[in-house]
Amino acid sequence: MRPRTLLLVPSLLWFTAFFVAPLVLVLIHSFGRMDLVTFEMRFDWNLQNYRNILDPIYFRTLLRSLALSTSTTILCALVGLPVAYFISRQNDRWQRGLLVLVIVPFWTSFVVRIYAMVNALENGGPIDTLARDLHLVSGRINVLYTPKAIAIGMLYSYLPLMVLPIYVALERIHPSVLDAASDLGANGWQLFRRVILPLAVPGLAAGAVIVGISATGEYVIPEILGGGKTLMLGNVIADQFLNVGDYPFGSAIAVSLLLVLTLLLLVGRGTQRMEAIT
Amino acid sequence: MADRNAPAVVLDWNARLSRRRLLACGLQLGGGLSMAAILAACSTSSNNGGQQSGAGGSPSVPTGTITMNNYPGWIGKTEISDFESQFSSASVKTKSEPTESIASDVLFFKQNPGDYDMGLEDQSAVGQMIASEVLQPIDFSNIPNIKYVDDTFRKSYSHGLPTDYGKVGVGYRKDIVTEGITSWQDIWNLAPTYSGQITFLNLDRDCMGSALKYLGYSGNSTTESELEACKNALTEIKPHLQALTNTNVAGGLVKGTVAIAMDWDFDMVAAQQKEPNIEWVIPSEGAVAYLEGWIAVKGTDNLPLVEAFMNFHADPKNYAGFVNNTGTAYVESAATPYVDEAISKNPILFPDQDVLARVEYEDYLGEATALWSKIWDEFKSA
Repeated sequence: MRPRTLLLVPSLLWFTAFFVAPLVLVLIHSFGRMDLVTFEMRFDWNLQNYRNILDPIYFRTLLRSLALSTSTTILCALVGLPVAYFISRQNDRWQRGLLVLVIVPFWTSFVVRIYAMVNALENGGPIDTLARDLHLVSGRINVLYTPKAIAIGMLYSYLPLMVLPIYVALERIHPSVLDAASDLGANGWQLFRRVILPLAVPGLAAGAVIVGISATGEYVIPEILGGGKTLMLGNVIADQFLNVGDYPFGSAIAVSLLLVLTLLLLVGRGTQRMEAIT
Repeated sequence: MADRNAPAVVLDWNARLSRRRLLACGLQLGGGLSMAAILAACSTSSNNGGQQSGAGGSPSVPTGTITMNNYPGWIGKTEISDFESQFSSASVKTKSEPTESIASDVLFFKQNPGDYDMGLEDQSAVGQMIASEVLQPIDFSNIPNIKYVDDTFRKSYSHGLPTDYGKVGVGYRKDIVTEGITSWQDIWNLAPTYSGQITFLNLDRDCMGSALKYLGYSGNSTTESELEACKNALTEIKPHLQALTNTNVAGGLVKGTVAIAMDWDFDMVAAQQKEPNIEWVIPSEGAVAYLEGWIAVKGTDNLPLVEAFMNFHADPKNYAGFVNNTGTAYVESAATPYVDEAISKNPILFPDQDVLARVEYEDYLGEATALWSKIWDEFKSA
């Protein structure tokens, strides 16, 4: 083995022990059965847990989680693209400062940030008070514990994960490319549609994967900002592991979610390859 | 121990880290994320020697060290050091494991045999622990001070020493809900009027248990048809709910953004200090409550010391120290002379017998646990 290959060994060991092995354990558990009275586990390699997932309640929950993930990804892309473009067109010093501002929320605990959103969005909170003082609303804003609050919370939490990869893609665009397009007669919209957007696609794709996959398992934000009235797939998995103690069923749901996301990724990748060929 | 000659005590209820609040927070946030953050620095150990003296008539002086699983601060301020002072070679270590549910408690004990000698568990957990064979039976003849525990609680807590309980009732703003509330039926009737201003607890045992009481069923029902009816009743009121929440439940009542809240008694006591217009009732149909206490864990090699500690805890003066430190509803009337009046004279924490008669303690559901979980998921998904 070449010496430089040996440099991979620590990472591979870590990856195997703390990523691959747990995944394999989850997969094995998904074929087991837990007696919820005695909490004795049996591994009889049956598919009952996967059959239970076909119950409409869990299927609807999966669709709901995918819908939330999709809408979050689209929202983050719509907001993140202009933000990333703006940052990429600044000089180095401003770029560094603006990127720090994008990353700063991650310096605080995720849960703390979401609870801060509760205070910000509640009736009588600062946003509500400001909106009424500015006569933007006649009554209360009534945002907290509604789907609007979930959307705001998701956007707030996941936007940096979209901005950064798009920024990396756009930052590589040399200003002369944009100048050339303008010189050839492209107006602002044509410049965006024919030059900037195509060059931003790799960043958008990376951001979509990062945001989409993370958001699919999200349940803390709907639980806190949505008032706990909506069941997400993450809730179900957490409930099975932490509340019911049915590890095999929780594992089966987790494996199913993993398979669905992997399938979507493969389909997306296949589509990209087809477009590249044509 | 409470100093009864001290000036009137203003109790900081918000500083009391109640077990139920921690449990609820943990369940909500899942994964032990917040629980680990809150409890990471809270393991305490106590390993002092002390003077020799017997308490409560134990046949021999216990020695050794026991480890208790308990929530941080959920004990009398000086209780452990006082116990160690009375028993020369005995010591008590306290650990707080960030488990979020009965199932995770039981699984934790199963997977870590011998790590703990005793723990604080509610009656539904006791049943689960018996079924899972992680509970150590105790000899009540070694705990003579159990005689001070009121019969109501003694009969409802089968395999250990009951210590405290928490009732699920209704808090409401009497200046907003001028109709007044005396029953769960009132809430369902008033829901359209106060739509968007009502919160329920985000715990299946408490929320579904309350709905079952509304329907006239047992709060521990395992009958599928009754649980379906419970789900339908909750689904009916769901469009009018502002939120299902376990954290800062009374905060909305204090601010006036919530008019009616399903909430625990200890939470209401704190809220009333901030907003006197908050009323709390045990509905006429009844209410569910958790009843918790000390149990011995199977695998303990020092059962005599565990029983000695339980006996010490049950002594009225020591027990009053626990109540004064936690501000909880308490189970020993004999301790009343030593309990702070802010607690002993509070009808929410020390209710009349006719109010207590309407309270049903949450019990083990057996094989119906999975059914409850499914019904709860169906309600949340509706």
